[in-house]
Amino acid sequence: MGFLAGTVFDSLFELLFRYSPLVFRQGEVRFALSRTAYVTAVAVGAAAASALLTYRVVRGGADRRDRVVLVAIRLVAIALVLFCLARPVLVVKAAVPGQNFVGVLLDDSRSMRIADAGGRPRSAFVTAELDPEHGSLLARLSDRFAVRLFRFSASADRARSVRELRFDGAQTRLTDALLRAREELAGLPLAGLVLVTDGADTTQSAVTDAIGALKAEGVPVFTVGLGDESIDRDIQVSHVAIPRAVLKNAALVVDVTLSHAGYGGATVLLDVERDGRIVSSQEVTLPGAREPATVRVRFTASESGPQVFRFRVPPQPGELVAENNARDVLVEVEDRREKILYFEGEPRFEVKFLRRAVADDKNLQVVVLQRTAENKYLRLDVDHPDELVAGFPKTREELFAYRGLVLGSIEAAAFTGDQLRMISEFVDRRGGGLLMVGGPRAFAEGGYAGTPVADVLPVVLDRPAQGSSPFLAWLNVRPGRAGVAHPAVQIAPTEQASAARWKDLPPVTSVNPATRIKPGATILLTGGDAQRREQVVLAYQRYGRGKSLAFTVQDSWLWQLHASVPVEDVTHERFWRQLLRWLVDGVPERVMVKAAPDRVDPGQEVTLVAEVADGAYLDVNNARVVARVTAPSGRSTEVPMQWTGEGDGEYRGAFAPDEDGIHEVHTEAARDAATLGADLSFVRVAAGDEEYVDPAMRAPLLTRIATETGGRFYTPDRVASLPDDLRYTGRGVTTVEERELWDMPVLLVLLVGLLLADWSYRRVRGLA
Amino acid sequence: MRATVAASVILVLTASAAAQIRLPWFDGRSREHETREATNIPYDGRFVFVRLSYPSTTGRFGYGRGAPWAHDHPRAERNFMKILREITYIRPYTDGGNVLALDDPELCQFPVAYMSEPGFWTLTDRQAAALRAYLLKGGFVIFDDFGGREWDNFAAQMKQVLPEGRLIELDVSHPIFHAFFEIESLDFVQFYDRDETARFYGVFEDNDPKKRLLLVANYNNDIGEYWEFSDTGFVPIDLSNEAYKLGVNYVVYAMTH
Repeated sequence: MGFLAGTVFDSLFELLFRYSPLVFRQGEVRFALSRTAYVTAVAVGAAAASALLTYRVVRGGADRRDRVVLVAIRLVAIALVLFCLARPVLVVKAAVPGQNFVGVLLDDSRSMRIADAGGRPRSAFVTAELDPEHGSLLARLSDRFAVRLFRFSASADRARSVRELRFDGAQTRLTDALLRAREELAGLPLAGLVLVTDGADTTQSAVTDAIGALKAEGVPVFTVGLGDESIDRDIQVSHVAIPRAVLKNAALVVDVTLSHAGYGGATVLLDVERDGRIVSSQEVTLPGAREPATVRVRFTASESGPQVFRFRVPPQPGELVAENNARDVLVEVEDRREKILYFEGEPRFEVKFLRRAVADDKNLQVVVLQRTAENKYLRLDVDHPDELVAGFPKTREELFAYRGLVLGSIEAAAFTGDQLRMISEFVDRRGGGLLMVGGPRAFAEGGYAGTPVADVLPVVLDRPAQGSSPFLAWLNVRPGRAGVAHPAVQIAPTEQASAARWKDLPPVTSVNPATRIKPGATILLTGGDAQRREQVVLAYQRYGRGKSLAFTVQDSWLWQLHASVPVEDVTHERFWRQLLRWLVDGVPERVMVKAAPDRVDPGQEVTLVAEVADGAYLDVNNARVVARVTAPSGRSTEVPMQWTGEGDGEYRGAFAPDEDGIHEVHTEAARDAATLGADLSFVRVAAGDEEYVDPAMRAPLLTRIATETGGRFYTPDRVASLPDDLRYTGRGVTTVEERELWDMPVLLVLLVGLLLADWSYRRVRGLA
Repeated sequence: MRATVAASVILVLTASAAAQIRLPWFDGRSREHETREATNIPYDGRFVFVRLSYPSTTGRFGYGRGAPWAHDHPRAERNFMKILREITYIRPYTDGGNVLALDDPELCQFPVAYMSEPGFWTLTDRQAAALRAYLLKGGFVIFDDFGGREWDNFAAQMKQVLPEGRLIELDVSHPIFHAFFEIESLDFVQFYDRDETARFYGVFEDNDPKKRLLLVANYNNDIGEYWEFSDTGFVPIDLSNEAYKLGVNYVVYAMTH
């Protein structure tokens, strides 16, 4: 409401002082005192002095306080008269008619079609007021200035007439538009810029850059805000929190934020569509009073490749803007096998049941290194005969080839010091996922306290007391507070069903009494025994680039084999698949490329940023990195990428796709003759839907642009004073003008007020 | 190498026990007596040898040998568990094992079970359903100590448990024979029935030999007998050795496949 208060103030100011604050700010107040006026002033001064003396000798009913008040009132009144006699003038620099330029920037984007201007579209003001034949604003501006029109949306261009405008631009870029106009009009006597828009800027960047540049050159921007400051009836899909890339058949849990106005308490449908087919649908009851609703949506990414998912609420009766009811997001569904190394230190049934659980998951490959006896290993599901032939990896390159690492009941002493550091670096530097599974040789019981691996784990390892009897707890496992809604431990299709299933599962045992977690860790599952003693069952934390998990149960296979579990039950399978998929979710490759933004309009530039590392995941700054962009038509272009010099291993390149559709970006990095790695990413080229996001007119932004550059903000009903205000910006070719101030209404108001005060005081005090 | 280690352990066991243990066939005590002494231990995370009990077609054997399922109990498992502990990193309960009926819910806490003399095995519908669920959910059963015409009864009972399951003969290339020891030949020299060739059968998940083995049947063989007498000198060491190698491989396979 700040701008409204400012507008009222401006109007009042202009009424009392004859000129707007803008004119006063630009001008200078002086006194044009003539000889006659000087003599008159002296005479008035003398009269005032004699009047004061008269008061001094009067001994009426008035006491000292009355005299002070009355004298003060009269002195002020006399001062006012003296002020007028001194002939105050406002010296302003006024633009010479016809000698100066004004740039008028017109918003040509789609949001200008929103019909919230008294039932008419926002664009109606532009087409009416700036029409070359009938536009009154244009006519008045043209009387005084040479007007240069610009149209802008995603880009800004000169326009000969408003009739060229189509109001179909998919973006609004205020910064680009202002800077383009400044550049175009550089060197000309410029009185100022007029920005006619709804202010719905769709860029992520702030307008600070443009404001700074214009301020430095003293170019004032006069903004005209079109549309309502708040939309009364609207539902909008504001945000979709979804990963850029997921593994095929991943059970996605996506948080969707719905904002709304005027639909509190209404129940609406939220659909997720892919290729026009609904993959998920659920009812949402919207909270009251414009409060946004966060909705958890679940669906499965069953098709591989780049997939566009549309999150959509069907338009509601009476809704003003239907275009913001849907939001499209691009997700790369990867159909690859995530390779996980499971090192188990003793033959036990966890290996068998874990392998069975993920056997049918084509996207998980669990390579088992099973120690069966001293220096004797069984290798399962290896890719080639030499894999792990010498036991647990001894080099970083060998270990970092895996994306996940599961440590079973294997004691710390089974590793060399360097191998323990390697495991730590596997998480920290390589960004892999580490999971330690409970057992007599795991956690503190396995001697990990004080090792580099202990630093990585999310639980605090307390060294077991010497001579204490072995710990064994039968645990009923249930989700912790953070686990209730966490996708990794959802073992049934819905949150409620999952909670019920956890309640039904048979108890399991733990020999690792972990009760404390690290400060940054989160508990997903807890367990309680018959004595109601609680312990951590599943916890995780981010560590460096990766994450680590602690699962303290030693026989999760009981969730499969137990007599109470039906043969057809898949809870155990679901648990391990989800847990292992989550373990390797987001694990980086040696070459990682991100496109920003990943959705652009045709012709808009995309920046590619690649991170390049070698087999030991050390950043590489001297690689040759090339991205090959393939358009939907099959046309392919090469985009060379250069080391940025800003960050180790960081390379950057850019391209501007001009075809609609999904573009494939295949990036390869090589050093000398050796290939370091490659990555595949996607960019979607399509008209954006940002124009209708938060579609209300953004008065605060427009006010800020105006105020900081020395201009003024207008609404259509107050725009009449714009041409006059532009005359007094002090920019361009100007003449000095003196404006009389003695006849300002405020002086008369004050004078009359003082006389009334004098009279009233006397009446009240009985002096009259 | 491993075979040598196993043999050494057997020798140690033999030496330490020979003075105390007499052959049970001739000591006048019934095995059932020993069975009654057995008490089951609750599951605590360790590997426990589980022997399946069942009502048999013959009741008791002659010569005081007790119920068929109890043949070689409990010394067979005691000896085998000691071997398992010495040879591998498995943590077994070494003082014998548990005896459980097929439909005992406790069975589902022990993913490997052993059945002796399935040639005399009978089962109720409830037991058949329980064993079927156990096998399909991931349990593994070792059938041992049967031969000749006893096959017919075993196959008939298995038909009741897994009507769709086919008993497929295993050859030496199957991973179960390489899970711990590298068993290079399945040509076993028999101690009692010299005319019969030892054979190994299994039922696979979905009858697909590439998938998990649900059970193994030692047809024309009796590795439990060799375990039982391995510390007495009654059975040749080589034979006991081979029996232990099979037993260790079965357990390691069941834990990893």
